[in-house]
Amino acid sequence: MTAPFRTIGQPVGKIDGVELVTGRARYTADLQFPGSLQAVARRAGVAAGLLRHLNVEEARRSPGVVLVLTPADLPGPNLIGILPPFDQPLLAGPEIRHEGDSLALVVAETQEEAEAAASRIVAEIEPFIPLLDPEEALHADARKIHANGNLTFAKQLLKGDVEAGFAQAEVIVEDTYRTSVQDHAYLEPEAVLAVPESDGRLTVYASCQSPFHLRGHIAVNTGLPASRVKVVQPFVGGSFGGKDDAVTEMGSLAGAAALKLGRPVRIVHSRRDSFLGSHARHAAIIHLKTGAMRDGTIIARQAEILLDGGAYASESPFVVMKALIHVAGPYKIPHLRVDCRAVYTNKRQAGAMRGFGVPQVTFASESQIDALARKLGLDRWELRRHNALTVGEANATSQVFHESVGLVQTLERVKEEGDWPACLKRAHAGDNPRFKRGVGLAAMMQGISNGAEGIDVVGASVQVSQDGSVLVGLGLTELGQGSRTAMAQIAAEILGVSLEKISVRQVDTDTVHDSGPTVASRTTTVGGKAVWMAAQTVRTSLLEMAGLMLKAPAEAIELGLDHAYLRENPQAQIPLAQVATAAYWTGFPLMNLAFSRAPDAQYDHETHQGQIYIAYNYGTHLMEVEVDTWTGKVRVLRHLASHDVGKAINPLGVEGQVEGASLMGLGFAHLEEVLEENGKIRNANFADYQIPSFAERLPTRFLPVEEATSNGPFGAKGIGEPPLAGAAAAFTNAVSDALGISFRRLPITPQRILEALEG
Amino acid sequence: MEALSIQIKVNGHSHRLQTFPNRRLLDILREDLTLTGTKEGCGIGECGACTVLVDGEAVNACLILAPQVDGREILTIEGLSERGSLHPLQQAFIDHFAFQCGFCTPGMLMAAKALLDVNPSPSREEIRQGLAGVLCRCTGYIQIFEAVEDAAQALLETAVSGIEGTAGAAIAQRTEEAR
Repeated sequence: MTAPFRTIGQPVGKIDGVELVTGRARYTADLQFPGSLQAVARRAGVAAGLLRHLNVEEARRSPGVVLVLTPADLPGPNLIGILPPFDQPLLAGPEIRHEGDSLALVVAETQEEAEAAASRIVAEIEPFIPLLDPEEALHADARKIHANGNLTFAKQLLKGDVEAGFAQAEVIVEDTYRTSVQDHAYLEPEAVLAVPESDGRLTVYASCQSPFHLRGHIAVNTGLPASRVKVVQPFVGGSFGGKDDAVTEMGSLAGAAALKLGRPVRIVHSRRDSFLGSHARHAAIIHLKTGAMRDGTIIARQAEILLDGGAYASESPFVVMKALIHVAGPYKIPHLRVDCRAVYTNKRQAGAMRGFGVPQVTFASESQIDALARKLGLDRWELRRHNALTVGEANATSQVFHESVGLVQTLERVKEEGDWPACLKRAHAGDNPRFKRGVGLAAMMQGISNGAEGIDVVGASVQVSQDGSVLVGLGLTELGQGSRTAMAQIAAEILGVSLEKISVRQVDTDTVHDSGPTVASRTTTVGGKAVWMAAQTVRTSLLEMAGLMLKAPAEAIELGLDHAYLRENPQAQIPLAQVATAAYWTGFPLMNLAFSRAPDAQYDHETHQGQIYIAYNYGTHLMEVEVDTWTGKVRVLRHLASHDVGKAINPLGVEGQVEGASLMGLGFAHLEEVLEENGKIRNANFADYQIPSFAERLPTRFLPVEEATSNGPFGAKGIGEPPLAGAAAAFTNAVSDALGISFRRLPITPQRILEALEG
Repeated sequence: MEALSIQIKVNGHSHRLQTFPNRRLLDILREDLTLTGTKEGCGIGECGACTVLVDGEAVNACLILAPQVDGREILTIEGLSERGSLHPLQQAFIDHFAFQCGFCTPGMLMAAKALLDVNPSPSREEIRQGLAGVLCRCTGYIQIFEAVEDAAQALLETAVSGIEGTAGAAIAQRTEEAR
């Protein structure tokens, strides 16, 4: 490919923008099918207990009710999960493990009728004292929430000799950090619509993140072969990791009901259902100890991480691994020991959420780096720079990268653009008894690709029509992040086609290859590579055809602006539509299905030492804040976010990800906490659970760094998750700096600030 | 419950509907008129995804019942573009990448329209207040903010170009000062 790029790196709007601004984009709940029924789950309403009897007779006789589905009516194993142990029943009983457990599904003609009938189901539950504290749940004599005990998963990372490291250390800092439960709070609550087809197949429309995962679970739980189930993903109103398990449960239940009744069945969660019945971010308790030399060189770190997984395993095993690998931060630390465990409690289950364990450990790690700087009397920026990972150096898993390690560049950009010395001077200059100012820094990294979570393969298809337009199919999903636009840009660049001529279809499991889940910031990197590969083959056809037409070797041809032309003589050109038509009639292939496979992770499973991720995104955030000591309110005056994204395919999209993830990070650090009392959520609505509004928006300024990776298309690395952790940690350090108080628990709400000020 | 007959005008079209007094405007739009561009995000008037204009004023369609809209004029996202061309707000939202998943976008656009209709050159604080009732979980609101500012400018330029001489210049100058 000859530079400069025509489409890659250009700021472009979303290719599906017109549909989205006109209300024409249909989300799952917008779909209309004649004869559709509505379904509502009756939830346990009790955090722990034993279901003695479930009386559904009155509900069955309620107006409009056509079916009440109970565990006995399910043809399959009544079990879902992301990976072993598959431990979550679709319909629970006799053991009740959290208040959101579904006991029965009521299917009725209307939503109101289904809701009314669900409230008439009588569940006799012998209550247990709920196990809510993750540390208590691990006691040897604690009641077992699952047969195998309360430890969901445990892993260890060992590098060097941590005892020797601490023995050598001249300074040691040690603390315990806690984070709370954050809800995804995507604006579109989960929804599914199961439609039995006349050919014996089942189509499930779902606001989901991983259509193939959903298809597999629906098949097993309805007793259909997987190939007889089609999952279609309409527009999805945000996911952030959340629309996996909950939608799997809903899709399986709706599918079972639809097949039984021969009619379409729809389940649309209310906001309350979304809070009770979906998955949230793991709350964490992190004991962290760091040893360093007086010059600031960090030589040892030890961490014990406990993740509250709630009632079911879900993604806990993978979150354990991600937290384990990332608690060392973006630093070269020779001696490490990390123990990370997830535990069952009688609370709503925790699963995947943007960041996937990284925001929790980054907050702890970066708080401790500041504590170390204070203890050593060193500048916070210098301490980070001194220990920063660079090309050729071993990270926490002893993996060495020889390219695309842009951490130092992000530190430098933030220092330069932010004028770090001026920030420090400003920090307390204007302080008065009421308003205190502070500045915070955070450096972080986040692995891109599935890494230790298993094989990473993505299938993509690229098809050129005779009119020169292009259809791209990808097994990963558009959740709002702009991946369809990025994929279109990649295909456009390689085929020399204008963006308007490219369509990227939405996922339907009949038409694309199973590519695993849309997670781990892997879509642009691994998925984009698949599109890149698929497009290359079609490009070869076009070049060869154009060569024949222009009587030149294929190597002399270039594609661009919807034409094929001679590189040395661009006036000699043919419209791409003519080339494509000729290629069709000559018999050149105009469609290709390609698979990109990320290099496999290779590591020791006992110590987590080895090659794990195909690349890391690195970042540095800086925040200046003003804290009102009378009200506890915090105003963010300045926010710089620098990330090494390899190559920004669409700068506007990257900016959107950085700004959005950062604001979600502010929510995590400052505003959001799912509150429970005796195992019951008491803020399961948007009035009591506050997500950032226009008023809280951050003045984010993105400073791109582009250190290309050969594992991504045009060098690109994912950016969907990393800024969340960076912004949250920078906020924490800024507020701690302003008040001279170390906050060790998130969120730092105005209330907690006032409590801390009162001492 | 007794049925009720209401007369409403939606996006310029009149409808006489048989409905029930406990049905929300949101249900009437989405179910009876299949105008599904208006979304339900929370059901309690906190997220603003269901924002529509009733007689020009932005309201949450999940908080208004059928009898309250009898005889009134409603504008939804489906009625925002005129004669097949995008409203300047819609174009600005696309150009600025002012949405990701798009679920809040119809509500956000309607709230922005209500704001610009009464205040064609809002200050930054007025934009913040005008849109504060609509939540977005994907963006950081920055690109939305820029899109609304840009659309206001575009709308004003269209309006000003239609006004002769000094009046137009005065408006343009006031706009500049407001920034």
